[in-house]
Amino acid sequence: MSALLQYAVQGLAAGSFYALAALGLAVIFGVLGVVNFAHGAFYMLGAVATAVLLDTLDLTLWWSLLVVPVLMFLFGVVVERLLVQWLLRLDPLYNLLLTFGLTLVLVELVKQQYGVSGLPYRLPSGLQGRIDLAGVVLPRYQLFVLFFSIALCVLVWLMMTRTRIGMIVRAATEKPELARALGINVGRWVTPVFGFGVALAGLAGVLAAPFRAITADMGNNFAIILFAVVVIGGLGSIVGAVVAGFLVGLVEAFGQAYAPTFAQILIFVLMALVILIRPAGLFGRQEATT
Amino acid sequence: MESTRKWAGASALTVTLLLSACGGGGPGSSGGDFTGDKLVLAVLNDQSGIYKDASGPNSVKAVKMAVADFRAKYGDKAVVQEIEVTSTDHQNKPDIANTKASELYERGGADVILDVPTSSAALAVANQAKNHKKLFLDVSAATTALTGAQCNKYTFQWAYNTYLLANGTGTTVTRDGGKKWTILFPDYEFGQNMTKSFTDAVTKAGGTVQETIPTPFPNENFATFLTKAGSSNPDVIGTMHAGGDLINLVKQFNESGLKDKGVELAVGLMLINDIHSLGVEQFAGTLFTDPWYWNMDAEARAWADRFLAETGARPSFEHAGNYSAALQYLEAVQAVGTDDADAVVANLEGKKVNDVFLRNGEIRAKDHSVVHDANLARVKKPADVKEAWDYEEIVTKIPAAEGFPPAEASGCSMKP
Amino acid sequence: MTHSVIREAPPAGADAPVTASNPRLRWILLAVGLVAALALPWFIYPPVAMDIVALALFAIALDILLGFTGLLSFGHAAFWGSSAYVTGLIATHYGVPFPVAVIGGAVFAMILALPIGYVSVRRSGIYFAMVTLAFAQMVYFIGYQWSDLTGGENGLQGVPRSFFGIELVETESFYFYYAALPILLFGMWAAWRIVHSPFGRVLVSIRDNTPRARALGYDADKYKAVAFVLSAGLTGLAGGVFAINHGFVALTELHWTTSGDVVLMTVLGGIGTLWGGIVGAFLTVTLADYLASSGFHGIDLITGSVFVLVVLLFRRGIWGTVRHRWNIRRLRRASARAGQGYSSPDGNSRHTTSGEGTGR
Repeated sequence: MSALLQYAVQGLAAGSFYALAALGLAVIFGVLGVVNFAHGAFYMLGAVATAVLLDTLDLTLWWSLLVVPVLMFLFGVVVERLLVQWLLRLDPLYNLLLTFGLTLVLVELVKQQYGVSGLPYRLPSGLQGRIDLAGVVLPRYQLFVLFFSIALCVLVWLMMTRTRIGMIVRAATEKPELARALGINVGRWVTPVFGFGVALAGLAGVLAAPFRAITADMGNNFAIILFAVVVIGGLGSIVGAVVAGFLVGLVEAFGQAYAPTFAQILIFVLMALVILIRPAGLFGRQEATT
Repeated sequence: MESTRKWAGASALTVTLLLSACGGGGPGSSGGDFTGDKLVLAVLNDQSGIYKDASGPNSVKAVKMAVADFRAKYGDKAVVQEIEVTSTDHQNKPDIANTKASELYERGGADVILDVPTSSAALAVANQAKNHKKLFLDVSAATTALTGAQCNKYTFQWAYNTYLLANGTGTTVTRDGGKKWTILFPDYEFGQNMTKSFTDAVTKAGGTVQETIPTPFPNENFATFLTKAGSSNPDVIGTMHAGGDLINLVKQFNESGLKDKGVELAVGLMLINDIHSLGVEQFAGTLFTDPWYWNMDAEARAWADRFLAETGARPSFEHAGNYSAALQYLEAVQAVGTDDADAVVANLEGKKVNDVFLRNGEIRAKDHSVVHDANLARVKKPADVKEAWDYEEIVTKIPAAEGFPPAEASGCSMKP
Repeated sequence: MTHSVIREAPPAGADAPVTASNPRLRWILLAVGLVAALALPWFIYPPVAMDIVALALFAIALDILLGFTGLLSFGHAAFWGSSAYVTGLIATHYGVPFPVAVIGGAVFAMILALPIGYVSVRRSGIYFAMVTLAFAQMVYFIGYQWSDLTGGENGLQGVPRSFFGIELVETESFYFYYAALPILLFGMWAAWRIVHSPFGRVLVSIRDNTPRARALGYDADKYKAVAFVLSAGLTGLAGGVFAINHGFVALTELHWTTSGDVVLMTVLGGIGTLWGGIVGAFLTVTLADYLASSGFHGIDLITGSVFVLVVLLFRRGIWGTVRHRWNIRRLRRASARAGQGYSSPDGNSRHTTSGEGTGR
């Protein structure tokens, strides 16, 4: 029983990376219609920035959690203004290709700058150690990641439902036809929304820095799993992205425990099942099928 | 009719041109004992991908150091004056390694190819060496297939193999008291092979392997695997991961609290560049087999000082291995007075060698495995580090006979 | 970088082939292409030349989907790689002449494409790209783990190149090139036939307007699935030849970067041009080959930048741009003859593009 609980918490903690990053991917897709292939690269940049900030300015994780998303937001704004915006009126495939090329460039630049073996990182002492909950031993940091992500998802949800900007974004994401019919102009929110999505990917990277390898390639596999996550959740759905993120984390953890070799294949099997049974994704609307 | 003949004439002419363009003619055409009157050492490795730090451009420099030392030693008495070192980046793509190797032998005039990380690339190059009857001295690729089922007359494995890594760590750690093992391995050829060797070594040394857990590759999340591994209360968790996956695993091992429970982590393959990039803190206490460590004795250190001056970094064992392979190749050429591959192979086979890299070295004739003493190392605690790159404490020496598999067991048959 | 250029989207593949109204030119181009294919190994190291032609067919096969069906597959490495493995296994275990092994590989790729295609075509556009990528990753994991069969990361080594006992072909890559070339040329011809058949026209109509095609009674999903399987089959031919050419198969062939590389080749050559893939493959392979010994390390920097630039500025790709320019010249000449001024010198206007699109 305690093992099950432990696996569940570990799965949810791993899932919180997927959830955060997938949330960013879903919001970008919703408002811009862009599938951002570079999302994995942005996640990687978030982790690299965290390590570099610690190394050069001695900024601990707490500061990085604040600073890096802001930096990534700005970076996202630059990328959107410089590259992505020119292709927004075209077939979305062009932006997928553009961000794919961007991924190659970013990964290579990081390799050239910071080498291939990875960067060091140490955890602030407050987050080291473990908590023993009735026989279930859990690293403090995993719990922190879990609660932090859930809190953030709730915060984003509140923002989406309670603020004017949020409602516009949500309307554009989940009911684009309606938003247009009501004459809501999403145009001016395009750039900040892209930045926001990138910041979320970067934030997932910050959280990953202490217990994952910080290398230029860390985002590659992550991005592919992320695609499976949003397909499972339904691309047009914000809730779907988050729920599917945690779900995939759980599948991964229990897969590791009971079918170790197939831990990752299981995710893709789940994806195939979802497409067969609910092509629009668990939370997607059927008419969103493009 | 007329046009056919013209076409035939044109092709014949082109074939002639082509033939004369490849490799500067066959043996004998240049009149001397050296094709093209020079010796070409071609380093073929990964200069842009994940193996860049461990070997990469600095291995080219190490080979150049060997050439300089050879020149300094023999001067005018050297049998060949013009020695060229070329560098090719296989971009960590086996198919590029394959074509480049073939092109180097055929058209680049290469007498020997050195290094070649990534086992699939190295095996392909070994095949090219066999087809072209030219030498290939593997340094960075660890697969035992090179000296086993897929061995050939022109291929030597210079530095290490997976058996050494597994056997060295497994035997020594078990003997030192780590009796109960759980092994985590990436579920592919390298991991599966090493797990087999590891299990054998541990059992032979009187320990037990309670569980072996395969993991997918690549993989970022090891939390549940580690929980599972820890649930049987082992003394040691052995891991066969390398590169980014190893770092993921070590970080999450530190998080998991297994370390505080006294569980040791024994690693199959670790390079000093991994420790350098991540800092000793992450790895402190980890046990692993190091075929060569720059600070293991005065001779190694003296060479490492030169290497530092040359490159700005301390050498990994792969850098030293490339130096040694190039140097011993040149010595063999000097001894036989020609670059003829068969003569050089005959000279190398069975030779006992000692140099900066090889201690009690022997170039085994049976399987072309170059065996030598290796070390079991432990990563130092941050407090014990006295200078940059001072990361390892040598726990014990692993004698060549113990670390490497016996030649009879290699499964190699050297039929041409 | 002017705004108008950027906004101007060439509808993928909407340019008319140069030869549409000029059959003589078609024959000239065909002859030039054949001579180039025959001459290639005289100028380029034969194994590299073989790679170029094999990858060209790979890119052309991808273009059947991308350019003519409007589906971007980001998982074609699954078919390329699995065919390479199956070809290698057949050649190793049965010692058959290599063309037989290659056909076996291609058939396997088609069989693999059936379930993947069946599931994937249920989603189009962006979803299709992501789903195919995910499936290919799954195939990659299986290849990695099933090392008894695939040799894992050691690769499948020592694939023989058996060819009816003709030793020159079996040992000399120069002669092997000419033995394998017909297979690849056949693949290219087949691609051309597929695209220009009634079936191909239905694909284009599905690409341009799926609801309309459905209304006309075409089962769009079925057509897409068939196109997917055919594309996988041609990809398999190319992958099989590639495996025999190298004499071994490595896991790289199944990796997603291989899928990305071939998309780059197709986009660089020109989406929907079919033959653009040849240009793309030629440039990509020679670049990688050149960089290997150039001392410049960081091929992805160049590849990625080219990708970004092509997508931003030259969406027609190289072949597409040449063809487009040619068409404009032709139109201008025609209109000059007709005594009308033709005033779009750089051909940026949508009028030009769509006008020609109907000429197919």
